[in-house]
Amino acid sequence: MSGIEAFSPKGMLHEGWSAHVADYAIVCGWALQGKTFLVGDVAGGLYAFEGESGKLIWQTKDIHKGGLLAMSIHPDGNTFATAGQDGNVCIWESKEGKSTKNLEIGKGWVEHIKWSPDGNFLAVVFNKYVYVFDGKGREHWRSEEHPSTVSAIAWSNSNELATSCYGQVTFFDVVSDKINQKLEWRGSLVSMVLSPDGDIVACGSQDNSVHFWRRSTDQDSEMTGYPGKPSHLAFDQTGTVLATGGSDRVTVWSFQGDGPEGTVPGELMLHTEPISCLAFSHSGMLLASGARDGSVFSWFLQKDGQGDPIGGAFAGDLVSQIAWHPDDTALAAINANGGVTVWDFKVRIKTVPQGFG
Amino acid sequence: MSNKQKVPVTILTGFLGSGKTTLLNRILSEEHGKKIAVIENEYGEVGIDQGLVINADEEVFEMSNGCICCTVRGDLIRVLGNLMKRRDKFDYVLVETTGLADPGPVAQTFFMDDEIREEFSLDGIVTLVDAAHIEQQLGHSDESSEQVAFADVLVLNKTDLVKDESLDNLEARLRDMNRMARVIRSKQADVSIDTVLNLSAFDLDQVLQRRPTFLEPEYPFEWTGVFSLDKGRYELSLEEGPDPSMSLVMFLDQGKDETSLNTGAESCLRLYAEQEQPINPGDIVPVGKHVSLQLQSEGTKSFLIDVEKATDIGLFTQHTAEEFNLRITKVKASIAVDKSNAQNVSTISPIAERVWVAEHEHDDEVGSFAIERVGDVDPEKLNRWLSRLLSEKGVDIFRTKGFISYAGESRRIVFQGVHMLFTAQPDKEWGNATRRNQLVFIGRNLDEAEMIQEFDKCLV
Repeated sequence: MSGIEAFSPKGMLHEGWSAHVADYAIVCGWALQGKTFLVGDVAGGLYAFEGESGKLIWQTKDIHKGGLLAMSIHPDGNTFATAGQDGNVCIWESKEGKSTKNLEIGKGWVEHIKWSPDGNFLAVVFNKYVYVFDGKGREHWRSEEHPSTVSAIAWSNSNELATSCYGQVTFFDVVSDKINQKLEWRGSLVSMVLSPDGDIVACGSQDNSVHFWRRSTDQDSEMTGYPGKPSHLAFDQTGTVLATGGSDRVTVWSFQGDGPEGTVPGELMLHTEPISCLAFSHSGMLLASGARDGSVFSWFLQKDGQGDPIGGAFAGDLVSQIAWHPDDTALAAINANGGVTVWDFKVRIKTVPQGFG
Repeated sequence: MSNKQKVPVTILTGFLGSGKTTLLNRILSEEHGKKIAVIENEYGEVGIDQGLVINADEEVFEMSNGCICCTVRGDLIRVLGNLMKRRDKFDYVLVETTGLADPGPVAQTFFMDDEIREEFSLDGIVTLVDAAHIEQQLGHSDESSEQVAFADVLVLNKTDLVKDESLDNLEARLRDMNRMARVIRSKQADVSIDTVLNLSAFDLDQVLQRRPTFLEPEYPFEWTGVFSLDKGRYELSLEEGPDPSMSLVMFLDQGKDETSLNTGAESCLRLYAEQEQPINPGDIVPVGKHVSLQLQSEGTKSFLIDVEKATDIGLFTQHTAEEFNLRITKVKASIAVDKSNAQNVSTISPIAERVWVAEHEHDDEVGSFAIERVGDVDPEKLNRWLSRLLSEKGVDIFRTKGFISYAGESRRIVFQGVHMLFTAQPDKEWGNATRRNQLVFIGRNLDEAEMIQEFDKCLV
């Protein structure tokens, strides 16, 4: 590991528990109202840890031949879905890790899956197509062929699904089977997030820029100047600020007033290598960021995009995903070496907060 | 992550039917102890026997700025992005492209994408050529000439279907188009695995180790004559010729067998890269120096050669001896005073003669050439020129490779480019080695003379 040495948790992050999975931990999330923390590794190992203690509740191996690619936890937390290189989507119940359904989509990778906000639909990306299944695993809807492989999906509401691919973002009404909106731009869109009200679409682009559209006004803008590809994007719960990666600093654009066009973004600098994941807390303007150097920081952001670090910890290796506990009392990180770490997130009472850097 | 070894990637290109799948199967079935992941793009050909094979549709993504060098293969970024997470499961990647693919975006993917660049290193580009059909293909599609131009290794396959003579012509044509590549002949893609994997073709140091001259040279001289001379003084005489001056290098103890001639040519090539020293008629020709015979005056021009003890001298001349009616005569003390008596002097015939394939006209639009110069360049001037050149001509310049000697820099600068992208990085110390510049350009309709001229302006 270059550029950084291991350090003990600082600020509001406190020693919690840690565990190990067999291979590169690729997906994670909190299920059962935070009682369980789920982790999947690339080799197809699936693990459920007790949220509080880190005790292993159950585990399964080799769940997608070739490798696991994606996981989506149902909004109620009782079930979740996984997808992989075998072209299958599997539905599980969270308590005991029993597989309840296996959907064979086709020969090829299934890289993205996502439950709709109301939990009635599961969207599945298969190459240039998107399928929507209902709760019983029946195919409810299928998109037309996209011009290229679908790179990201997001639900703007429980009936409307957004897809991104090379050159366009498309909004589909999956209930009445129609295209609500198509936003075009000649560029390779590698990631996509929607603001919580669904009005702003932000996409990370291969050419080291972030492109976004306001659906209501049809206005679009491009934020350039990133040294790398901003694959990681996150909106806060109010849709005021957009945190972006693409370098070793977190660049935060504020949508206050007429922004972010013509404004200077906030820049959060403590990581020594490029950002590898970003996540906002469920309430408030708390951002967690992880980087390739294995460092994790939490930040308190202002509405103008400026922010200050309030906690930091070392996860040991490239942080592949980061997840706030449903009540924001803990922060979990998984890494490229199979490391799983959960820190308590709370104010330090006895010790004096330490500086950073 | 940075302390881990990057996973090498070989790109395999070639037209449909050139034998890519056969070669892939050979590589995968051979005992090489490697775990190879194959990203295959061509459906319909013979299936791959074993190994981790991933199918991906070729998705060439252009950027909004329209810049050709930013064009990448989106499918590769996606697939490799996932593959790199399971790096313990494989240690080599082969990317097969369709016959219609432009190799540029494939290669660029490994330079342009920050995450891919971090985990993978482009090891080399191997192009399979169907010996029986390539002539036809070269005439009909840009892709085939681009695939030839981009290659580090050209496998001339299905040679059993073509006559030897045609093969030689074909090979010469391919070398013209891409002098950087190594050409290997095969019948049924039966080439040894070492010739296509772990080439480190983008690691110039290794390229240099394997091939000291680095380039397949087109010699800047056309003729070599070896003359067996006893001790004494000789005259090197030239008549009126096509140019007012001619470069020449003279060596002592020049062997006349093929190997010696080639060795001589190689040493000579290095000397030719140095600034020539003009010498006038009547001057003595120095040994092992790049000289320019000044031939402006009318009539026969004679230069002197002094031989201390009997030796075979080798003359490497810019033009053929014939063009200037070049000859060597022994100067006899009595006659030397009276030059009018020249007909009494016996001309010494060479014991060996060799006409080199000189820098000749290229028939193909796609071609390559090298610049080789001793000395230092001004980094700012070079950067200005290259930036301008690549921004104006980058579309047509497929690959650039070489070493540069920056004035004031103790280390050698390694230069790599694919279209408009280029990197110039300090490499090892020059130490006692002669500081020189070696650059190869491969592209379409390159103006060689102008580029060399512009490069020369960057020399200190």
